[in-house]
Amino acid sequence: MELEELLYKHFGYSSFRPGQREVIEAILQEKDVMALLPTGMGKSLCYQLPAYILQKPVLIVSPLLSLMQDQVEELKRFGEKRVVALNSFLSITEKRNVLHYLEQYRFIFTSPEMLLQQQVQEKLAQMKLGLIVVDEAHCISQWGFDFRPDYLRIGEWLSRLNRPPLLALSATATSKVKQDIRETLSLQAPFEFMYNVDRPNIHLGRIVLGDKADKASWLMRYVKETAGPGILYVSSRKRAQQYSEAFLQAGIRTAAYHAGYGAEDRQFIQQQFIDGELDWIVATNAFGMGINKQDIRQVIHESMPANIANYMQEIGRAGRDGESALAILLYSDGDEELAKFVVTGDLPTPQHVDRYQELLSQQVLPAQMLKNGELGETAFRVLDYWMQQETTEQVRARLNHLALEKYRAVDEMLKIIQTKDCIREHLVGYFGQKLQKKPENCCENCGIHYDEIKKVRLNEEKKIEMVLWESRLQQLLLGN
Amino acid sequence: MFHQILLQIFQKLNTERTISAAYHVLKGKRSGQTIQDIGLFQLHQYFGLLPKLPRTTFDEAVKLFMQNSWLKVQESGHFHMEKLGLQCAQQTPTFFFDGWHYRGNEHVFFARLSLIVQSLSHQTAAVRSFSPISRDPSIQAWVRSFLQDHHYLQGHLQQQLLAECASVLKNLPVSAGSKQLVLYRLSGYRLPGWTWQQLADERKESVLDSQLAFIESLHILLNEVQQKNDYPLLKQMAQGLRVKILLTDSAQQTAQLYEKGYSIEQIGQIRKLKQSTIEDHFVELAMYEPNFSIGPFVSYEEAEKVWQASKHYQTKKLKILHEALKDMSYFQLRLVLAKGEV
Repeated sequence: MELEELLYKHFGYSSFRPGQREVIEAILQEKDVMALLPTGMGKSLCYQLPAYILQKPVLIVSPLLSLMQDQVEELKRFGEKRVVALNSFLSITEKRNVLHYLEQYRFIFTSPEMLLQQQVQEKLAQMKLGLIVVDEAHCISQWGFDFRPDYLRIGEWLSRLNRPPLLALSATATSKVKQDIRETLSLQAPFEFMYNVDRPNIHLGRIVLGDKADKASWLMRYVKETAGPGILYVSSRKRAQQYSEAFLQAGIRTAAYHAGYGAEDRQFIQQQFIDGELDWIVATNAFGMGINKQDIRQVIHESMPANIANYMQEIGRAGRDGESALAILLYSDGDEELAKFVVTGDLPTPQHVDRYQELLSQQVLPAQMLKNGELGETAFRVLDYWMQQETTEQVRARLNHLALEKYRAVDEMLKIIQTKDCIREHLVGYFGQKLQKKPENCCENCGIHYDEIKKVRLNEEKKIEMVLWESRLQQLLLGN
Repeated sequence: MFHQILLQIFQKLNTERTISAAYHVLKGKRSGQTIQDIGLFQLHQYFGLLPKLPRTTFDEAVKLFMQNSWLKVQESGHFHMEKLGLQCAQQTPTFFFDGWHYRGNEHVFFARLSLIVQSLSHQTAAVRSFSPISRDPSIQAWVRSFLQDHHYLQGHLQQQLLAECASVLKNLPVSAGSKQLVLYRLSGYRLPGWTWQQLADERKESVLDSQLAFIESLHILLNEVQQKNDYPLLKQMAQGLRVKILLTDSAQQTAQLYEKGYSIEQIGQIRKLKQSTIEDHFVELAMYEPNFSIGPFVSYEEAEKVWQASKHYQTKKLKILHEALKDMSYFQLRLVLAKGEV
């Protein structure tokens, strides 16, 4: 059967999206593959379809439990029953059962932590897998914000295993991260696919202002005059809160969005945004949101993104519907200093290294540091991993190097901001690609007629009013 | 609301404990000391209301109380309420929390309800896929089997649940605003819930106060649902969430028979136990079960006599009290002392 027919048979789609066919064909030729596809562009299909052709179980390693759950549920919606999530949520009995029948599943999702357990490794070593998928592969790179040491350990495990082809998936990756993925997973002459990073319908604005206060007044005026839906990225939770309150006071339907909120609140905000009840979301840039809204018209950065990859990912949330959208980056002198301060804020310091050593010598579990709140979770994960691998001196050097790398990434972003040439060309070039064609209103340096893109904020949108509890109950259960 | 609750707890602990004791009560600390304090100072309703309460939030409130001259804290952490603080505490409304029995489980109930309502709302709109409001696999599994047990595909569950919720809420002794608050923490198809911040802004109070109003409403709702047989669906969602193992097994069996209407003598006969043993069980009930009333055994006047005598003689020794109150039985005295002054 042709690939298209299989695609239709199993998933009901009549054609592939860019990159999917190339990736799947390479897998079927038993090649290792590194596929860089943006979120929401059918990454998962790259292993879902081969699973039906290979007729051997596909193992998918996924770092986030919630992501794993989403993928399992997606497959179940397509009618697949032979799918299982082997993770820490299983009871001992459930886990024993799953392991016993493991070869009968078509899709086996698991976490890096689980893969490091001996009984899991032993079982997998006995099985004939058709494909191993490493999802969110950028977590492997110590240069990434999402660095997961457990992912490095999988690299060690994979190198011992007599393994089938490997598919590394990620949404964004710089050449540095790509190199890390290749090396850590020991990919053998991999086929690489990378989506076209250019988004011609997003116009790249950059506005230089005096200082923080100028930005605030510019933003106040701007959001009163132009239409959303939009996202404003800021550098801290506190500032997200402040802007959100100021916008609300000005009668603009706004909510702050950051990791300090509970999961329900975050989902409520996303849903309100998608349903058009909010015009602006003020978010922290350290926090990625899995928002899937097609008609975001504006993305504004109040402060500098930590690196180019983050910037691309954040502006990439605009204009998913293909219509024109505007990305504006506000810059004032010295913003890079704040950015550098923020990016290294979550790194362990030399003091943390000493403290770790001190606790060890007192025969106290170093995890005590985490419990005391002496450093963040990510930072502890990084520190804990390297302290077990290397000497204190090496770890110190490594952390120093990490900080310098992060500074360098900020400087690269700064170059994009300060360039006098085409911003788009620079961005695309950074990912090793060549810009095919400059769109109209390309970027600040090529010239943007803002009036042609942004829409005027018409009259005041109606604030959503609460209804009585009886009506709300009725709406929830019976529709209106 | 948070400040009022704190005032009430401080009032009950006045001069006897450190300020931290109040923090442990709200956090639901399971140490012997805290559990004992709960019984001694009748703090059942506040137990474990805010398991995630940051110490800084608590300390800020204490600081404010000190600035207001509501209480004085000594170096050791011990405190006493000042006249103004006692007056303020007197003016606080009576709350109907039941922290002792729910201990945060009200959130499990609400997670179940939220996912059920979200699922049914999408079913009504004929939308099959949505992102579940609860990510917790155990909640998801529970809801899945609930929906299947009730044949949700037939499409009648919406009406049944609507009728139950409408009826229980209608007569619930909480304000319409609180009912609205609960309903706006639920979400459905094209009906997103409101964030705590949004609700607090609307209600012109702090986020913490909104959350407390929500918890109180849920406690009242849960007790209502579990006491009656009129709400089978909600009762099922509340199953296993009320903590019952406060009593020894034997005392619990006695309590069950008592609830069915048997007298002490009858329970003794049924259980083939001595009357004094059954009486011990009732004393245990009086101590740990805030909803247990000693009214059927002791009149209010009698109870008051016991407290007065206890104060007068500065003692809780039964023998001395019995000397003073000859017409009351040891059992009655023990009940009054176990229940504590209310």
